[in-house]
Amino acid sequence: MSEYALELKGITKIFPGVKALDNVQFQLLPGEVHALMGENGAGKSTFIKVITGVHKAEEGEMYLFGEKVDFKSPRDAQEAGIAAVYQHPTSYPHLTVAENIFMGHEIKKHHMIQWKEIYAQANQLLKELDADFDARAEMGTLSVAQQQMVEIAKAMSANAKIILLDEPTASLTKSESEKLYTLVDHMRESGASVIFISHRFEDMYRLASRVTVFRDSQYIGTYPVDSITNAELIKAMVGREITTMYPKPEVQQGRELLRVEHLSRTGFFKDISFTLHAGEILGMTGLVGAGRTEVVEAVCGITHADEGKVYLEGEEVHIKNPADAMKKGIVLLPEDRQKEGLIMSWGLGRNVTLPVMSKYARHGFNNNRKEREIARDLLESVDTKAVDIFQSASSLSGGNQQKVVVAKALEQ
Amino acid sequence: MAGKSGRSINNVPENPVRKMIFSWEGILVLLLIAVNIFCSMFSQFYNVSSLLRQMPVYLAEVFLMLAMAYILVLGEIDISVGSTVCLSATVACLTSNAGLPFPLVFVAALLTGTACGMVNAIILTTFPELPPMIVTLSTQIIFRGLAEIILGSGGSVSVTDTASFKALAGKVGQVPYILFLVIILAVIFAVILGKTTFGRSVYAIGTNRLTAYYSGIHVQRVRFIIYTVMGTLCGLCAMFVVSNSYGANTTTGENFEMDAIAMAVFGGIMSTGGKGNIAGGVISALIIVCLRVGLGQRNVNAQVILLLIGLLLICTVGLPNLITNIRQSLKKKKS
Repeated sequence: MSEYALELKGITKIFPGVKALDNVQFQLLPGEVHALMGENGAGKSTFIKVITGVHKAEEGEMYLFGEKVDFKSPRDAQEAGIAAVYQHPTSYPHLTVAENIFMGHEIKKHHMIQWKEIYAQANQLLKELDADFDARAEMGTLSVAQQQMVEIAKAMSANAKIILLDEPTASLTKSESEKLYTLVDHMRESGASVIFISHRFEDMYRLASRVTVFRDSQYIGTYPVDSITNAELIKAMVGREITTMYPKPEVQQGRELLRVEHLSRTGFFKDISFTLHAGEILGMTGLVGAGRTEVVEAVCGITHADEGKVYLEGEEVHIKNPADAMKKGIVLLPEDRQKEGLIMSWGLGRNVTLPVMSKYARHGFNNNRKEREIARDLLESVDTKAVDIFQSASSLSGGNQQKVVVAKALEQ
Repeated sequence: MAGKSGRSINNVPENPVRKMIFSWEGILVLLLIAVNIFCSMFSQFYNVSSLLRQMPVYLAEVFLMLAMAYILVLGEIDISVGSTVCLSATVACLTSNAGLPFPLVFVAALLTGTACGMVNAIILTTFPELPPMIVTLSTQIIFRGLAEIILGSGGSVSVTDTASFKALAGKVGQVPYILFLVIILAVIFAVILGKTTFGRSVYAIGTNRLTAYYSGIHVQRVRFIIYTVMGTLCGLCAMFVVSNSYGANTTTGENFEMDAIAMAVFGGIMSTGGKGNIAGGVISALIIVCLRVGLGQRNVNAQVILLLIGLLLICTVGLPNLITNIRQSLKKKKS
């Protein structure tokens, strides 16, 4: 038996024209919590998907407890005891918690699903995890943190030996993160090995014993967490020394551009006021579900506020829809790039020029040549890892898809 | 304007001719030729002039396909069109019999169709969450119900001014007017869908409505226009239906929606939205028209013709998947 729970060697994954993973390696010890870090687009998520059988690597080998495995589908990986918990829980919102937990491995007797048993076991699991909701709750009514807990319960119910967590803390509050830490401890104690991706150093220090860094689709190194310094780790991740963690450029605050007064939308947010000046970056923070997105959507005309006023350069405006907002110079870079930002099956070029096609059209006819030029320039300016502007948005990694969304917003 | 890595991205499109040969439309053209060879072997009367003489009856439905294509690309459906044709035909007959001049009769039919389409459009854009299938199923019943009320107990009406309607069914040489009109409208509809920002918007909405909306496309405005135009074309279709039958009854236009949908889907316009083009729809419409004429000449039962077309449909709907599979494996080999 090998000393590793999971070992990957020489993994190369090619997306049309782009190497998403270039000869990377990875070793996971039994009972270890192993952090995987790197910049956006470094290939972390792709790597996770190779392990879970979502993507098939062009080259490389994978060993599970010393045995060579070759997953053809996520189902194969699940059956081998690998479970993944994604940043956005991929659950069935209209089913109950227990139904979600046992989806795919229902308890059956004479081909009949044993609901009583399922609910009993689900509640037992939730109790172990110290959950504050019942197995009969509908999944869609839970918070993101609670849904994540269900995903973890699902992994545990399937007796997963290896659990992958893809940015689990990204949408959690501090106290929710604390709870997740205890869950991960719990998983480790019950004998599972955990790989988790995170951008938060805090997570890594709190949980991991070792950390592996990827950069530009390549393996950089694996380090013990106790002996590596912050600076060394950052250098490994970005490839150069970073002197200040959060460099803050001095900006001259200009005149007032946008003023929002007492904006309210029943059931979503109430009495929101803020001002935005030229040259300013205004952050809006709060818990998931606090209504940040909803406020911005109301300002951009995607939804409509019931009360309150919006002033643009001192004049009151009524923004009816996104097209109207764009005309007035307000662009929204939406939260969910796959559902709101991009048309995944379309080429990158068409995606980028979708909001501006009328600007270049003549008598309503698309100016395809001009659009192709603009699309290329924009995509190059944000450094998209793409071969041509005709490849579909779905062929890019998540980080690069986000770059396309940015490129799209730039031209508006 | 290259970024920090200096990576350059290609923006020269691939050779369009190559693409065309491997496309669905390319296959449909072959199928059209095959169907014509088959028909001329099957029926000794099948030739260009008999085809031109007998096709007008079936061509009226091609108008419906043109607008239905847009609705399908939107990822939606309109099953009220048959009833709209019925109501428009009824209005055309009654206004004609009431002594209205023929041009005004024509306008009345178009307006009736447009009004019906607008009813759908208003409902669907005011309540965007309502499924078009349910809304247009309701209006299907309502429109035909209205026609039945207007037609009264007899359930049918015949036009007295047959001369004017006969003129509409006239020809230039051997070519019927309706064929010219179909070609002109097909070109217009194809250009708008394929070359304009409006057309691009339709594809965007049909592929990802939310992204389209976030990108500043007037989703509801586009939907409104399309459903309304669908109605107008129903009015046009109704005029040619009356010019063939010199009357209207409660079953006029029955199943027209299904024929229009079949032509479009057969032409590669997926009912899931965002895919296909008018060229495919027109070629597939021609295939269906030729089959109907050819098989009809040997008195093949209309039901059997439908059955054959249905079979052809199922087989061909499966084909694109097969083709993409083959193309993908070819591409893989190349790289």
